Amino acid sequence: MQPHGTPTLFTGLGWRQPHYAQVLQERPALDFLEVHSENFFGSGGAALNVLEQGRAAYPISLHGVGLSLGSAIGLDEWHLAQLVQLVERIEPVRVSDHASFARGTFRGQPVHTADLLPLPFHREALSVLAVNVQCVQDRLKRPILVENISAYVQWHTPDAQMTEPDFLNTLTRETGCSLLVDINNIYVNARNAQLAGLCPDPVAACQLWIEQIRPDSVGEVHLAGHCHVNDASGEIVIDDHGSRVVAPVWDLYRHAVARFGNVPTLIEWDTDVPSLAILLEEVSLARHHAASVLGAHA
Amino acid sequence: MTTLARAQEALVDALFAWPAQEAVQRLESFARGVGASPQRGLLAYQANGHMLAARALQAAYPVVAQLLGDESFAHLARAHWHAHPPTRGDIAQWGAELPLFIQSDPQLSVEPYLPDVARVEWRLHCASTAMDQEAHWTSLALLTEEDPQTLGLTLAPGTSWVCSAWPVASIWLAHSQEAPSLAEAGALIRQRVPQDCVVWRQGLSPQLRQALPGEFTLLDALGSGAALEPALSVANTLDFTQWLPLAIQTGLVLGAYRLSTKESP
Repeated sequence: MQPHGTPTLFTGLGWRQPHYAQVLQERPALDFLEVHSENFFGSGGAALNVLEQGRAAYPISLHGVGLSLGSAIGLDEWHLAQLVQLVERIEPVRVSDHASFARGTFRGQPVHTADLLPLPFHREALSVLAVNVQCVQDRLKRPILVENISAYVQWHTPDAQMTEPDFLNTLTRETGCSLLVDINNIYVNARNAQLAGLCPDPVAACQLWIEQIRPDSVGEVHLAGHCHVNDASGEIVIDDHGSRVVAPVWDLYRHAVARFGNVPTLIEWDTDVPSLAILLEEVSLARHHAASVLGAHA
Repeated sequence: MTTLARAQEALVDALFAWPAQEAVQRLESFARGVGASPQRGLLAYQANGHMLAARALQAAYPVVAQLLGDESFAHLARAHWHAHPPTRGDIAQWGAELPLFIQSDPQLSVEPYLPDVARVEWRLHCASTAMDQEAHWTSLALLTEEDPQTLGLTLAPGTSWVCSAWPVASIWLAHSQEAPSLAEAGALIRQRVPQDCVVWRQGLSPQLRQALPGEFTLLDALGSGAALEPALSVANTLDFTQWLPLAIQTGLVLGAYRLSTKESP
């Protein structure tokens, strides 16, 4: 029970297949579970059955990776119909996807790259993204959250370039959507800019990024690990969700909580998924860091 | 085409074109990679696509993957990724063309049963997410009470069948359930024993077994909405009295219904 006057912290876990059964059996103290929407498309079967059991025990957040909200060729009606069906069935607390694109044409046919590819931060891309976000919200009859991504290519945009926070702030104003701020993605982008000689102080750059975001537009925060690759092809930082959250990202998380307030926070781990105990340690750490800023009890 | 659409197309081309050199050069007028060198970021996306391709196909085609081994399967997945890129944002939907892709690859012709094993696995993959269907056991009383000219059978989710000139059921079962043994399946391959097989979902679990004589003809007719009586007359090699108890016990048949109402009671 929370002592009188202290806020409740909402901390959840990305619920992945290796822990479906264990979470259902042990019911760890989590405020919500988040799943990738696409893993539960389809009309029936074991995966949906598991999700419905999870829904009976926890609030569920549906986090998409395939809507391709920034595609110039528009949304895939099939994908949207599947999402509508899933949202009606699960009644999630939140629905989210990314400020990215994946659909495009290849040899004259629409294809999907199954990745989160970056958008240029200019007016044309913002218009496409806003139209598609609005279309999804109209179909779902609810606002969605849109997440900032880690990007491994950078567009040449000679004029009318916005900063990423400007781009996202304008999106929320124009569509009424909220932001899902991924702290690790901001840090990965800043570290790669540092490797390219474009960012002398990644932490300071991330703090500035966070300070430029409108606090009232933020509906959720994501935390994850990343890896530093230095192979024959060169050096790069990859957002692989395959390790613990690093110290600079925890520092930035505290900075974000101070700026955005008490927003739901998720621990994501998708590669080499460890034991549930390790994931719950990360959840506890997130609660501890948020509490240290908010004066709440973790 | 808008500037944004051209830029997005250039990046998509650089990820799917194979060899990618020309597409990568075209992308350079739109974007550069991040990290220590301009090419490094694009390589990260390409590597992620190849890893995802192998993982997605491994999930849908586990026995094909065993038959080929990790290295050959990863090579096949990479080739398929570039020849038939995904069209949906749900990666589990990708891979339906793999059986034909395998069939058209001369290097894989040394394992001529591979395309049919892949066909079977795609049916199992589809059955895993087919619409749930509840059993109505009491409705089976209709089979003893009413004219079979007026009745249909409710089949399990994902029910389908594959006819093969190879012992595909034995090959798949030997690799996934170790019964029959690999040696027994190998002997059937050398003897070129043809096997038809039935795929369905029992509860939440996809199933496969060798079809009984005439079974796929019956399922084909029933699946097209035919009444039981004409379906049985087409499938005249099937022993219905042997098949029905087996089909009910294993959840292949979930009930009976009057064709006039199209509803299970």
